[in-house]
Amino acid sequence: MPTLSLLIFLPLLATAIILALPSRFKDVYKYIALAITAVQLVLAGMAYFSFNPTSTGINTLAGYQLVEQLPWIRLDLGTIGKLEIDYLLGVDGISMPLLVLSTFVMLMAIGASWNMKKSLKGYFALLMLLNMAVIGIFCALDFFLFYLFYEVMLLPLYFLIGIWGGERREYAAMKFFIYTLFGSVFMLLVIVGLYFSVINPLTGAHTFSMIHMMNPDNYVAGSIFALDGYQEIFGISARLIGFIVLFFAFAIKVPIVPLHTWLPDAHVEAPTPVSIILAGILLKIGGYGIIRVCFSIFPDAAAQSNWWLGLIGVISILYGAFNALAQKDLKRLIAYSSVSHMGFVLLGLASFTAEGISGAMFQMISHGFLSAALFFLVGVIYDRVHDRYIPHFRGLATIMPKYTAYVAIAFFASLGLPGFSAFIAEAFVIIGTFNSASLGTGLPRWMAIAGSVGILMSAAYLLWTLQRMFFGQTRLKGGDSWNTALVDLTGREQLILFPTLALALILGICPFIVFDQMNASVINLVAFIQQYN
Amino acid sequence: MDFLLNISPICTAFLTVVIPLLAFLYQAIVGKKDQSGLVGTLAIIFSFVLSLLTFLDVWNAMPLSSEITWFKIGNTTFTVGILLNNLSSLMLLLVSTIAVPVHIYSKSYMHGDAGIHRYWMYLSLFCFAMLGLVIMNNLLLMYVFWELVGFASYLLIGFWYTKDAAVQANKKAFLVNRIGDLGFLIGIAIVYSQFGTLNLVTLFGNDGLIANTSVENGLWISPHNSMDAIWLTVTGISFFLGAMAKSAQFPLHVWLPDAMEGPTSVSSLIHAATMVAAGVFLMSTLFPLFNDTVLLIIAIIGTTTATIAAYFALAQYDIKKILAFSTISQLGYMMVGIGIGTWDAAMFHLLTHAFFKCLLFLCAGAVIHEMAHLKAHSKQDFDPQDLRNMGGLRHYMPQTFILMTIASLALAGFPLTSGYLSKDSIIISAFEWASAKGPMFQIVPITLIIVSIMTAFYIGRLLFKAFFSELRIKSLLGSSVDLNESPKLMLWPMYFLGICCVFPLFSFNPISYHDAWVMDGLLVQYPYETNHTAHLVIPMILTVGALSVWVLAWRWYAQGQYPLHANSLANRISLNQGYLNIFNEKIIVNSVLNLSKLSYWIDRHIVDGFIHIFINFIQQIALLSHWLDKNIVDGLVNTFGKIALLLGNFARSTQNGKLQTYLYSVFLLVIVGLVYLLLR
Repeated sequence: MPTLSLLIFLPLLATAIILALPSRFKDVYKYIALAITAVQLVLAGMAYFSFNPTSTGINTLAGYQLVEQLPWIRLDLGTIGKLEIDYLLGVDGISMPLLVLSTFVMLMAIGASWNMKKSLKGYFALLMLLNMAVIGIFCALDFFLFYLFYEVMLLPLYFLIGIWGGERREYAAMKFFIYTLFGSVFMLLVIVGLYFSVINPLTGAHTFSMIHMMNPDNYVAGSIFALDGYQEIFGISARLIGFIVLFFAFAIKVPIVPLHTWLPDAHVEAPTPVSIILAGILLKIGGYGIIRVCFSIFPDAAAQSNWWLGLIGVISILYGAFNALAQKDLKRLIAYSSVSHMGFVLLGLASFTAEGISGAMFQMISHGFLSAALFFLVGVIYDRVHDRYIPHFRGLATIMPKYTAYVAIAFFASLGLPGFSAFIAEAFVIIGTFNSASLGTGLPRWMAIAGSVGILMSAAYLLWTLQRMFFGQTRLKGGDSWNTALVDLTGREQLILFPTLALALILGICPFIVFDQMNASVINLVAFIQQYN
Repeated sequence: MDFLLNISPICTAFLTVVIPLLAFLYQAIVGKKDQSGLVGTLAIIFSFVLSLLTFLDVWNAMPLSSEITWFKIGNTTFTVGILLNNLSSLMLLLVSTIAVPVHIYSKSYMHGDAGIHRYWMYLSLFCFAMLGLVIMNNLLLMYVFWELVGFASYLLIGFWYTKDAAVQANKKAFLVNRIGDLGFLIGIAIVYSQFGTLNLVTLFGNDGLIANTSVENGLWISPHNSMDAIWLTVTGISFFLGAMAKSAQFPLHVWLPDAMEGPTSVSSLIHAATMVAAGVFLMSTLFPLFNDTVLLIIAIIGTTTATIAAYFALAQYDIKKILAFSTISQLGYMMVGIGIGTWDAAMFHLLTHAFFKCLLFLCAGAVIHEMAHLKAHSKQDFDPQDLRNMGGLRHYMPQTFILMTIASLALAGFPLTSGYLSKDSIIISAFEWASAKGPMFQIVPITLIIVSIMTAFYIGRLLFKAFFSELRIKSLLGSSVDLNESPKLMLWPMYFLGICCVFPLFSFNPISYHDAWVMDGLLVQYPYETNHTAHLVIPMILTVGALSVWVLAWRWYAQGQYPLHANSLANRISLNQGYLNIFNEKIIVNSVLNLSKLSYWIDRHIVDGFIHIFINFIQQIALLSHWLDKNIVDGLVNTFGKIALLLGNFARSTQNGKLQTYLYSVFLLVIVGLVYLLLR
């Protein structure tokens, strides 16, 4: 069974059905989306638990699982050679957990869209298109295919923010689009450069296969990205330039400071389900791209520049946290906390230690559903009173006890309370970063110490919010009308939140569920980069 | 019973920890439906029995350790495991022994509170976390439980969440503790980096990694790795930072007085007897890791804490605040014990302190309970915790008075009490330590002696103000004063603790701490000589000093012959806790907030400003190219068009069908031709 193809194209089927169904069936759309996404989650879950944890992934196709390879485009270009683009899919320990995460978060997003009113056909069709694109990104091993999915993903997001968003939705959508397009345009140049530098050893033709790009033997001598060639652009090694360009393309997604300002605006304007997808999946594509593309194709440049990556990580952690502390809009606060938490991903990755990279991966997964849960929780009060300014609420615990309990759990989970997944992630990022100096991979120890301050800060802004909004005597800006509007969580909302927070707890107590599946790949990745140190 | 005795201590210890967790889960699931707290109380009683079995098996026997694989990262396996040795089994027993009376007391004390189901839930969670903390066999798991006890403490401090002071206090407690947690985490990172493991047995066992580690030529060398020697000091300071926050050492003690916003029963268990002592326990566990610099820092911080807290306790009016500062001060003593290398003495003091301080809090709780009852009954507005409203309570609550007196005597270190033994052990050791080190170091024991006398004074003040002379708010109440002895359910636990405050439980010799079984069991080899004179003289100074200040306090507070100005500067500084909170609020918190506002301003105006400039730039280019397109590109095309049109029009104008024009053209052409020929 071509599991990965099924995973990718099931949502496309859903899009087709939704578009084909006349609008009088508009109440059915969400059920179609829900059913398809649920099937995806089951498929991905099955794949996850039948995944062979010993396979090493990363740089050999044999290390991947569920591989599907079909020749896709073959064009004879005369003197340039043959154009060879494959439909090449596969998963390893890095992409597998993220794949499951994506299907899970997508299911949450469908659940959060349940009461959506505005142009349902377009909404669910775009949502499913987005679903296809993100799954495709995590599966594609051919750079051309990867890029295709990467670009396709932008389109539905642009419209989802631009049409279903809040007041300044057009500004936010535009900002988002410009940022990400800016990153991906330059990425295309590097892809083309790579294509002309790499040859498929089996056919002798140039190739887009990422796996071939990871093998130094496949580079044509003297080509722009050849490892031995010392090709230079503006006096800087071409491979370093290639790495930097790709890094920034993905780093915009992560996002890193100072390329992060699209994120708060996009989140604040986006409807709740889109925020969930943005935080839960989209940011992870950045981290995933850095591992799959930047580190694996340019390990030499990565080894050379990890000090800077670590620095950017630390800056993101601290800067994001300080910004979060200054926010009055709850959603913006969560958005900035995402910047801070994703900084840990970058710091962990830059450490090039098994602990750091595992921690970073774990952080991506943990942040994936925790931030999704947080945005969902913000959506809960916004749905009820169309306001989410922290000073406008006080003492919510008295009128919404269940909601408060969920918020408190989500807050404590994301500030890294032991027992929840974020703790394992952040602790190992710090440990890995610290260990980096002893292993000679270069991150100075102060970065670990500076990064850990982010853990303190996250407690500060989250607990302060908890205290201001939920505790004390009840006092609401909207007075009695708000008091009646602010009903406690409904069954549907609890049905979405409970599994999410339970998952955070389960992964916090049994982190081996994730670590076991990815350990071999992480070890391979570390060894792969270390040889360039 | 054979069956019970055959269960391995590992198993009993495991159950000791897990049973409160089950009680927590039960209470979390049933929620409001069960308000009795019976399950939680029974659970902790079971835990107590099991911990006693564990203790009897393990004490003075071979240490036991057992573990299972938790997860694997890279090539390192992380484990979950239990370590049972004298230290951990003693702590296990202590925690469950204190928790039982507090649970029973709470049944009466918290009776009728609307959120009582949450209370039981949080309390069970705390017991689980605290019991887990003491028996974990690796640092990562200790850290896990370390934070969980902090979390449980957060929940319980903010138990009355509609009270602003309470929710401010729990936030403060968690954040200050987080500062310490960072230290702990960094410490873990250093140990992991240096030794490649976090397992306590591998690290600290006989012939373990620490034993095989040395500092040579400025390098800290372990069998696994080596780094600059400064990191050895950093490790010690990092872990100590963790202990400072949890054990409320200056300047991170600020959370503990505020934490008194929680229910008094909680204060007695968490913020007096067990959790706050966790820092001392951690220091004892990690003791071999500390070098002389770190130990000296610990001793200095401990002494400072003991002094400052005792000073702050002198002028407090809130009965719980006095006890809170007293706790901080006593924790300072314990830290000195660590710093001077006698961690067995520190643990001994931790043990005795746990009982008498818990009893002090429970007695204070009983008093507050009755005062609050009086307040509700008389419909008058007064602070039930304020000493100035009390007085003469011994007439109304004689049993509480006696129990409180016993606990106070223990705190002040009078002979025949447990506090006498343990406090002497620290002070005398400090003296011996200073004698070996040099005259400057004598500051430590001398300060400790002074602080000990201050301790006797402030607890005497509390006792005399609350229980002697006449009830000060009698005039408010009119004729009937409805004050009664506490209910039995509160008194029994207090009696139990009262028994634990006297010497026989710890040593059959009421004079010398060297015979105490705790000290025998922990057995630390001191690097300096025993001074027999000190053993005689110091206890005498302490006892005489304590007695004389009690006489003084009795004259001042019981007989009302207060000679000082109540509003003097020294009193005000003491009452306002050295203005440290104001300093924190104004300087630290505000600067962090301002920094965060600044960074948001940067984000909006500078980072986004660049983006806007960039977008603007693109837009300007677009406008420019639009203009170029319209005026230059299109202009050129249009010009060509116009020229073509002009030419066309001109050409067309010649084709007008008039014969004259045609002839005229021919003529003109001929003229032009002729002129051309002529001029050639």
